[in-house]
Amino acid sequence: MQPIPTVAEGPGAPSLRPARPPGLDTRTLRTVGLLLLPTIGTLAVVSLYPVFRGITLSLRNTTLSSQTDSFIGLQNFQTLLGDAQFWNAWRNTIEFTAVSTLLETVLGLGMALVLFETFRGRGVVRASMLVPWAIPTVVTSKMFGWLFDGQNGIINYLLKGSHLIQANVNWYGSTQHALQTIVIADVWKTTPFMALLLLAGLQSISGTLNEAARVDGASPFQYFWRIRLPLLMPTLLIAALLRALDAFRIFDLPYVLTGGGPADSTETLSTLTYKHLFSGLQFGFGSALAMAMFLTELLIAIGFGVFLLRRLRASGG
Amino acid sequence: MRIKSESTATPASSPWRDGWSRRDFLKAAGMTVGGTVGGPLLAACSTSSGSSSSGPTQITFSSARFYGKSNMSQIVDEYNKSQSKVHVTYQELPPPSSSTEVHQTLVQQLARKDGTPDVFTQDVIWIAEFAGAGWAAPLDSYFSSSDRDAYFPGLIQACTWQGKLTALPWFVDAGMLYYRTDILQALGLQPPQTWADLTKTAQAAMSQQKANFGFLWQGKQAEVLVCDAVEFIASANGAILKPDGKTVTIADPPAVEAVQYMYDTIHQSKISPADVLSWDEEPSRRPFTSGQAALLRNWSYVWQNAQDPSGSTVVGKVGVVPLPHFDSGKSAACLGGYQYGVNAASKNKDAAVDFLRWMSQPAQQLRFATEVGLAPSKASVYDDPALAKANPFMQSLKSVFVGATPRPVTPKYPQVTLVLQSQLSKALTQGDVKGALQAAKSQIEGIVKA
Repeated sequence: MQPIPTVAEGPGAPSLRPARPPGLDTRTLRTVGLLLLPTIGTLAVVSLYPVFRGITLSLRNTTLSSQTDSFIGLQNFQTLLGDAQFWNAWRNTIEFTAVSTLLETVLGLGMALVLFETFRGRGVVRASMLVPWAIPTVVTSKMFGWLFDGQNGIINYLLKGSHLIQANVNWYGSTQHALQTIVIADVWKTTPFMALLLLAGLQSISGTLNEAARVDGASPFQYFWRIRLPLLMPTLLIAALLRALDAFRIFDLPYVLTGGGPADSTETLSTLTYKHLFSGLQFGFGSALAMAMFLTELLIAIGFGVFLLRRLRASGG
Repeated sequence: MRIKSESTATPASSPWRDGWSRRDFLKAAGMTVGGTVGGPLLAACSTSSGSSSSGPTQITFSSARFYGKSNMSQIVDEYNKSQSKVHVTYQELPPPSSSTEVHQTLVQQLARKDGTPDVFTQDVIWIAEFAGAGWAAPLDSYFSSSDRDAYFPGLIQACTWQGKLTALPWFVDAGMLYYRTDILQALGLQPPQTWADLTKTAQAAMSQQKANFGFLWQGKQAEVLVCDAVEFIASANGAILKPDGKTVTIADPPAVEAVQYMYDTIHQSKISPADVLSWDEEPSRRPFTSGQAALLRNWSYVWQNAQDPSGSTVVGKVGVVPLPHFDSGKSAACLGGYQYGVNAASKNKDAAVDFLRWMSQPAQQLRFATEVGLAPSKASVYDDPALAKANPFMQSLKSVFVGATPRPVTPKYPQVTLVLQSQLSKALTQGDVKGALQAAKSQIEGIVKA
C-alpha cells in the first residue's frame, strides 16, 4: 500500500552505483536473472498483461457482436458517469460492503473471544465453525433461497410461529428486503473466516499481560478495552480490509438469488459488469466498469492503509 | 510408471550418465511439450480442412447439448451413414440452460471467420445479432417460399433479418397457460380466454379456497420477465420494438395497458403473490405442481413435471391452453427454441445445406419430438399419428405455437434485454408503469440507433 522508500539519486547523492556484494560476478548475476525469469514471466502473463489489457480495452468501444473496435479515449468513462444503473450498482455495492464488513467484524470478534477461552469441545467447535465458510457460495445461495422463500421458507414459518410478523415477508421480491437478505447470507458465510483471523490475533497477545492486569486489579471489561482491543487493532483492521475488498466483489449471491432485481435493488458492480461483459459482449464498456471497480477498491484500500498507519504510529510513538 | 532396472538399459543409452548436456535435455523436453500441444492442433487442422479429392466433404456442426432417449451425436451419425457425400463432425456446446456460455462460444467461433463450425444452432434471440454481424449466411436461395411455408409463421418471422432468411427453424417452445382441470370444474368455469376472464377465474379459485394462489407467472429480473412481458404486450396488440428494429413502441398505450395488468395481478386484483417478482421458471412451477395454484404461465417442460407422481400432487388434473388476450388483441406466446444457422465463412455451404435439409425433414423432426422431447417447428408434423401416440401433449400444443411471437428482433438484443429487465422490474415493483416504460423507451432508442 505504501511506496517503497527509494535512495535519493539527485545530483548531490553519491553517483556511485550500490557496491556489488563481493563474489557476484557477471556470470552469477546472469544465472540469477535467468532463474528469476520464469517468475517474472509468469507474473507478466497472468497478472500484468490482463491488467494492461483491461486498461486498454476500457479506452475502446470493443463489442464482439457489432464488430466495433476502435480507440475512443475516455468516452466509456463519460458514459459511465452519467449512467444511473452504474451509480445505483455502485451505491448498492458500497452499502453491501460497509454493512456486511461491519457485522462480520463485530460478530467475528465475539466468536473469536469465545473460542479463545478454554472449554470442553473447543477443538470441535473451532473446526466446525469453518463449515459455512467452506461451503461453495452457489450452494449457500441455493440454501438461503429455500430458507428465505417468501411462501414456503422456514424463516417466514418460524417468524410467524413466534408472532414476530403477521404476514409472510417477501424477502427476495421486495426492494426493501432483497439486499438485506443477501447481507444476512453473506454474514452467515463469512463471519467464521473473520473469527479465525481475529483468533490468530488474540493468540499473539502475550498471556503475561492478562496476569499483570489482574494483579493490578483490572476488570475483564477494562482488560478488553484497554489492553486486548488496542493490541488486536492492527489484526482487526487488516482482517476488515481483506473482508471489505472481498465483499466489494460480491457476485455469486445476487447472481444466483435475485439476478440483480427486483428493480436493480441488488445489482452490484460485479453483476452489472458481468452482464455487460459476458451477456452483452461489450468488452470495452465492461472493462471501463471493471476499471471503475478497481479504482473504488483502491480508494478503500488506501483509506484503510492510512488509518492503519496512523494507528500503528500512534501506538508505536 | 515403473523405472526400468539399471541392468536392462545399456550404459550408453542412458541420458543421465555423461553424454547428455543440459541443452540436449531442454531440446528434448521442448519437443515433447510442443508435440503434445501441437499434435491435436495439427490433427484438428487436417480433419477440418474441407473436401479432399476422394473422401466425403467434411463439415462441422456446433450445437448446445440436448438429449433424451437419443442424443445429438447419434442423430448426426445417422446422417453420416445415410449418404456418402458429406461427413459431419459434431461439436457439443454446454446445455441450453447455460445460455450465456453457449452464446459466448458461438460468438468467439463465428468472429474468427474461418468457416468452423459450418453449421450451428442458435437461440432465437441471437438470430439478428449473428445476421447483423454478417456471420450467418442468407438462406433464401436454398429454401424456397414453399419450404418456408411449412413452418409456423412466427418462426419464419423470427428467422428473417432485414428481409433475408438467415436461420432455419429447428424446434419450438413457447409460453402457455396451465390450469387445474379439477378446480375449474368445481367452479363451473371454462379455461379463460381473456385476461379479464383470467382475473375472475383466479379470484374465484382463491375466494372459494380452492387454491392459495390464483395465477403464477415469472417476474424475476431476468430474461424470462421479458418473455412474459412480450406475451402480455403482444396480446394487447402492442409491441416492444417494431419489425424495422428502430421504432420503439414500449411506451405506447397497448404496452402500458399490458404492463399495468401485470402490476395489478400483484397489487390490485392480488391474484398473484408478490413473490413472483423474484421467481423465474422453477420457483413458479413448484407451487403449481404441489397443488397450491390454479393457473400458471410457463413453458412446455412443466407438463412432464406435472405428470410425474414422485414430485407432483396434480397428476391428471392439469390442462393447457393458449395464453389469454386483451380485448384489443389475440393470444400470443413468447417464442423460444433453437434454430439452425450456416456460417457465412463456410467453404462448404452446399454440404451444410444438404445436412440441414436432412435434419429438417418431417421424419427427423418427429424423431427429435419423440426421442429428445423437442417440439417440431413444422406444423404438418403435429398431424402425424406417430406423434399423437408418443406424445399426445405435444400434439395438443399446435394451437399454442401458431401464436408464437418473437422477442424484439435487433442485433443489439443483448443490450436491449438488460434495459427491459431492469425497467420492467421497476415498473412492477414501484408501480410507475408509464414512467418506467418511458425510461425504457429512451434507453432502447439510444441503443438501437447507435
